[in-house]
Amino acid sequence: MKAWRPTPSLVRACLITLVGLAGGVVAGLDVMVVLAAPFVLLAVTGLVGRPRHGPVIRTQIDHHRLHEGQGASSRLVVDDLAGVEHVTRVAAPAPHVATRPAHGAVGALVDRDLPVLEFSPRRWGRRVIGAERVVLTSAWGGWRWGPVDMPEHGLSVLPQMAPYDSRAEVPQPDGLVGRHRSRRLGSGTEFEGIRQFAAGDRLKRINWPVSLRTGDLHVVTTRAEQDAGVWLVVDGLRDIGVSGGIDGASSSLDLTVRAAAALAEHHIRTGDRVGLLVLASDPVRVRLGTGARHLQRLHGTLARVRTDMRSAAPERLDLGSTAGSVVHVLSPMLFTPLVTATASLQRQGASVVVIDTLGEREPGPDRLALSALAARMQKIERDDRLQQLAALGCPVVPWRGPGTLDTVLHQLARRAQVPKVRAR
Amino acid sequence: MTPTAWVLRAVLLLLPCAALALALPERPHPLVIAVVVLCSAWWAWSPDHLAGMVTLATVIAWWTVHDVVDWRILVVSVLLVGAHLLATVLSYGPDVMAVDRHLAVVWVRRGLLTLVPLPITWVALRGLDADQAPSWVWIAAALTVVVMVVATLRLTQPVDE
Repeated sequence: MKAWRPTPSLVRACLITLVGLAGGVVAGLDVMVVLAAPFVLLAVTGLVGRPRHGPVIRTQIDHHRLHEGQGASSRLVVDDLAGVEHVTRVAAPAPHVATRPAHGAVGALVDRDLPVLEFSPRRWGRRVIGAERVVLTSAWGGWRWGPVDMPEHGLSVLPQMAPYDSRAEVPQPDGLVGRHRSRRLGSGTEFEGIRQFAAGDRLKRINWPVSLRTGDLHVVTTRAEQDAGVWLVVDGLRDIGVSGGIDGASSSLDLTVRAAAALAEHHIRTGDRVGLLVLASDPVRVRLGTGARHLQRLHGTLARVRTDMRSAAPERLDLGSTAGSVVHVLSPMLFTPLVTATASLQRQGASVVVIDTLGEREPGPDRLALSALAARMQKIERDDRLQQLAALGCPVVPWRGPGTLDTVLHQLARRAQVPKVRAR
Repeated sequence: MTPTAWVLRAVLLLLPCAALALALPERPHPLVIAVVVLCSAWWAWSPDHLAGMVTLATVIAWWTVHDVVDWRILVVSVLLVGAHLLATVLSYGPDVMAVDRHLAVVWVRRGLLTLVPLPITWVALRGLDADQAPSWVWIAAALTVVVMVVATLRLTQPVDE
């Protein structure tokens, strides 16, 4: 509504003033004059306070890319505030977005400061904020501009970086540099042994106590430190459960995406190369890479994961060359083709770890209800698939945050030192 | 709705009823009581609604018809102005919006300013003899009313930008 319109308050004051004065003057009703007298000032000041110009209103969002739980402020920009006394802003409710004030309605006098609305997305993904109505009111509450509908702003909400750390080494580091202890000798700092000096050895590696004791020059050998290739396979085929955002219950996709974000952040921090494969109706593959910019790309890709009932599980996981890489498959493992594809990957020589992201689900109150029976049957089938995967040597661990992978990665590292035959 | 908003709306409901209750021990007609109570409740629920106008008009009409010019009329006027200003403050936003403390202070000041003409008018009307006043006083007052009507009609028309 692009016009200054009289408020009901002004109309009320004007009518009482006019009727009171008319009744007093024309009909000689003294009481009516007394009762209407205070409204004269309200009516006159309200009428006189009409602003002369139509303001142009827009809103600005501080940030367009946030993590879950972080906040952004929406600020109001008005080109001409002459004659405006009060501003009211009412934000439209948006799913998985919290506002401050709690109900998204705020008002303030213009001479103090324009009211600010704060938004905080509670779930990763693409969120829409900033759809709101703005009302400007003139002095003495006489005239009102609006409500003006403001356009919404798109917000890319990255998954929360859940606290995750692991002291386990990646089983088969194969890169050039990094923090993981390699099986090969090199110029690292991890002690490997002491041997006799050979041509080409660096002089600073000579171990003088041993050399003096034996009479021959001996040098200290160390292991090289290498980075590893880590693939994250994210199952975005289905979302089981209801998401309550970061403050409430987690759906299976919440667990999957947040675990993938935490693993990506951890491995990038330790200098590994991380790749991502999102299994959905429109699969996305991010090649191996490292660095902060690559981490941003991974998080952005995870924030765009969408489930689609039409999507089907793939027959094989196309990761390119996985020799020497570790593959984390984050999935509730509800589809047999995905289990088969994971087993194939394991047989090709990759170190595969399945991270179960189904989470703990409360059974319904009625155990004999059709949905409860179906859920139990599906769980039995799923457990059977996971047992078969484990029997093939592919460890399956439920996601528990920090330390989830320590034990299985230690086991895989020991297993990687044993010669094996790869199936082609 | 915030607790403050509940309290303010309850006060808005009570103010016009109290303005009518000042007539006791004389009892207004049950229809008048019903209109004032129902419209006050409606007004408290929706401060921008026309029910507010009906409430104020009914109370003013009752006191005018009974032609009471004693001290009670001052109290009635204060109660009605209070109800009007309270409804104005509540109409700045939806019911979930907290009432801005600074805005409330501004309107309290304005309310006090608004009440300034009240005792003057009351004293003047009680001391002025209408029969002995010169005729030009009434003509000037009538012209003023006409001018104000025309001005109000023009000013209250919304102007599209």
